[in-house]
Amino acid sequence: MESREKHADELFKEFRETSITEFFRKNRAHLGYSGKLRSLTTVVHEIVTNALDACEEAGILPEIRVRIDALNSEHYRVFGADNGPGIPLKHISDVFGKMLAGTKFHRNVQLRGQQGIGIAGVTLFSQITTGKPIKVRTSTGNGRVYEVELMIDITKNRADILSKEEYAEYWRGTELDIEIKGVKFNLSERGPFEYLRRTAIANPHARIIFIDPEGRKTVFERSSERIPKPPMAIKVHPKGLEVDDLINMSKVTKARKVSSFLVNTLSRMSNAKVREIQEHVSFDLNKNPRRLTWAECEEIINAIEKIKFLAPPTEGLEAIGEEQIRNAVLNILDPEFEAVVTRPPKVHSGGIPFLVEVAIAYGGHAGRVVGDGIKCEIMRFGNKAPLLFDAGGCAITKAVNSVEWKRYGIRDFENSPITVFVNLVSTYIPYTSAGKQSVAEDREIMREMRFALMEVGRKFHVYHSRKRRALEREARKQILLKYSIELASGLAKLTNKNEDKILKELQNLIEERITGMEIEEAEEGIAGEELEPTLEGESEDNSEAHREIEEVE
Amino acid sequence: MERQKVISKLTHLGGEITNEIMLHGSPKIRIPQRSIGNIHFNEKENLLELGDKMSTRSFLNVAHSRKFMQTILIASKCKEFVSRNKTASIRELYYQLKHTIPGTRENTFDDQSESDPLIVDLEIALGVLREELHLKADDKGTLIGRITIEDSGDFIDCSKLGRSGLSIPSIVEHYRFHDVEADYVLVIETGAMFDRLVEEKYHLKNNCIMVSTKGQAARGCRRLVHRLNHELKLPVIAFTDGDPWGYYIYSVMKAGSMALAHESKRLGTPKMKLVGMTMTDIDTYGMEKVTEKLKDVDKRRINELLQYPWFQRKEWKEELNLMSKKGVRIEQQALASKSLEFVAEEYLPEKIAKKQMLP
Repeated sequence: MESREKHADELFKEFRETSITEFFRKNRAHLGYSGKLRSLTTVVHEIVTNALDACEEAGILPEIRVRIDALNSEHYRVFGADNGPGIPLKHISDVFGKMLAGTKFHRNVQLRGQQGIGIAGVTLFSQITTGKPIKVRTSTGNGRVYEVELMIDITKNRADILSKEEYAEYWRGTELDIEIKGVKFNLSERGPFEYLRRTAIANPHARIIFIDPEGRKTVFERSSERIPKPPMAIKVHPKGLEVDDLINMSKVTKARKVSSFLVNTLSRMSNAKVREIQEHVSFDLNKNPRRLTWAECEEIINAIEKIKFLAPPTEGLEAIGEEQIRNAVLNILDPEFEAVVTRPPKVHSGGIPFLVEVAIAYGGHAGRVVGDGIKCEIMRFGNKAPLLFDAGGCAITKAVNSVEWKRYGIRDFENSPITVFVNLVSTYIPYTSAGKQSVAEDREIMREMRFALMEVGRKFHVYHSRKRRALEREARKQILLKYSIELASGLAKLTNKNEDKILKELQNLIEERITGMEIEEAEEGIAGEELEPTLEGESEDNSEAHREIEEVE
Repeated sequence: MERQKVISKLTHLGGEITNEIMLHGSPKIRIPQRSIGNIHFNEKENLLELGDKMSTRSFLNVAHSRKFMQTILIASKCKEFVSRNKTASIRELYYQLKHTIPGTRENTFDDQSESDPLIVDLEIALGVLREELHLKADDKGTLIGRITIEDSGDFIDCSKLGRSGLSIPSIVEHYRFHDVEADYVLVIETGAMFDRLVEEKYHLKNNCIMVSTKGQAARGCRRLVHRLNHELKLPVIAFTDGDPWGYYIYSVMKAGSMALAHESKRLGTPKMKLVGMTMTDIDTYGMEKVTEKLKDVDKRRINELLQYPWFQRKEWKEELNLMSKKGVRIEQQALASKSLEFVAEEYLPEKIAKKQMLP
């Protein structure tokens, strides 16, 4: 065992010494750069994500432009521009030129940029495929604009600034001009266009303009003026902690003892809990946290598994919100019907808070045009970022397909003009692989998604049967009106009363009855609607995440 | 019933519905049910009777709307007939009412089969007879034999009508009977057998009145047989094919039908008996070779008859079970396998003399 143990410092040292290019090549797939289409989508993703996150943190309503020009076969130029806060000169090099420099690494925050290696990866990808630097133009709005060309010095993992220009102009934002090779553009479900369309739905506060290589311009208009609150950094809950997280955190802490390190770093960790941990570990928790070994960290994690902790707080979760999603869906899909559900927060993996947002859109531009027909489309999101790849193995796809849509009046789900939107919000989303495009099948997450889907399904059912009944009512009215002329004439002959008067009253009566039926239906609601099923006897509103007094095991 | 009373009943029906419309209520007509669930067999009288279950035809129920409208059209037309003292055939009524509904491509009536049952509905709903509504059906059935019938002042000697006999009209209320010399009435299912017996002068040789129903007996035919039995005390003997259909024709003549259960008392002849064809005839007269195999539909009909309360007599259950067991049916005309004269000279006289008949 001793021989396998490595001090974290050593790990870091080794990493730096490894060629970053090597690292990139070995991990291309994990970083989102596998496949010609996917690589291009990843580049767009990194640019847009960077812009959205920056705007959100600065409280700016984002306006993002993306243009892709085809320069040659499999050779493109990607131009991205935002109206974000801009990047101060001294940070340009870190943001675009340093791999794994993201601030997220040590913050347990729900950010979109959970995948890929950030915008520096784009620099590297451009550099590897074309040998050219990327061009950055940015200003914080202070009157100074910087235009920089940079590459990554792959031995030192830092930016190599090739040219720098500074001039006066009152403008704010960031523009990127990037050339890449070995990629391909198309309009398929996994391409940049679809990526931006879905991003627009999940970010209704953003205005996104896209110009494709054919010169076609699409504007996804903003449907909300509300800028999402930047998610707060929350401490990691012990139950959601893994050994490598712990060891990484131990390297940057200012605490002098492991005990205080744990209390300061982790959520719901008290001195009493530390004392409990002490009983389960073989070393003294008063030691310097920087000297923690992998094995010791493992011991701590094992101890945590045996101890009960309060459920984590949920403030770290930032949902898009029902109203926002509805606006976005109406704006982009213009459907005949839509329903949105945001579920209350729950926990997965024993302590990680998450929540599920689901929307269904029917008719209008909902669904995916395939050939002459329309098929259903499932839009998957992880923390508002569209998940375009590996749909088959994804828990979201499985949850959608596990719902018996027939029950909700959708006879042929596959071939209906339906868009199902699922956004999974969590400080930590369990992905099936490092590609981070496919959510792992966690029991709690599946359950929540199914509940949310069934809830929108029921809403659809109500709408659908109302619509059907309205048609039936109209047909009924027409039948009655048709026969009333003859009936009035027969009655007039039988009774010697005025035919026109009888007919008029008969028509009034029919009108009254049909309206009455409408009202009755509205009052009744929908008959035979089933309630949300509870699984294995669990009570529905047993929302651990809400009741922090309760203890989780 | 007085014409005036019929008119007032029709007007009342229309008035109630019109009131309901003015009050914005639910216009409806209540009609006694004519399904098996509302038909009772009165064992003492040996007649089918209509129970008191009602069904409601509501205009606002789209499944009823068309029929409702049609019923009212028929009622208004009948009121016109009665007022003008005209009697129309049910086919004439159909043509009088048939037209395209304004603003549609739909007809008020598409077929006479739509109007006929509604006439019966109206009869029962109002408690009036078809003839009181001044409606008549086509003539159906024929009579021949030693009886003189007075019809609107004319005297008809029914033994002097050649081979064709008297065509029986749908309304026979006005008939007066004179010079009855016959001993009994023989009711024959098929026209062909009737013709055979006429040619053999059976009615003259055996001193009877012969009536042919030509299939299921029409109301006029049933009413006439009823009157011959009740007013003249003539015994009535039926002669049908030996199959469930023939037996059902007999049962309708005898006990009444489900469709006209409300009129059983006026139409039924409970004391009627059946001379043939029976299953035992097949063995007695050695006619195995001239039987026909039962079809599935025949078998189903046998089982239905076995369920009816008015087929529960021992003799009938035996007859129907025997038919099932043999799996065959036998037609009246199969008797011709012996000789053309056999039916008139041997079969009927023998069986009637020996009273070999089913109740």
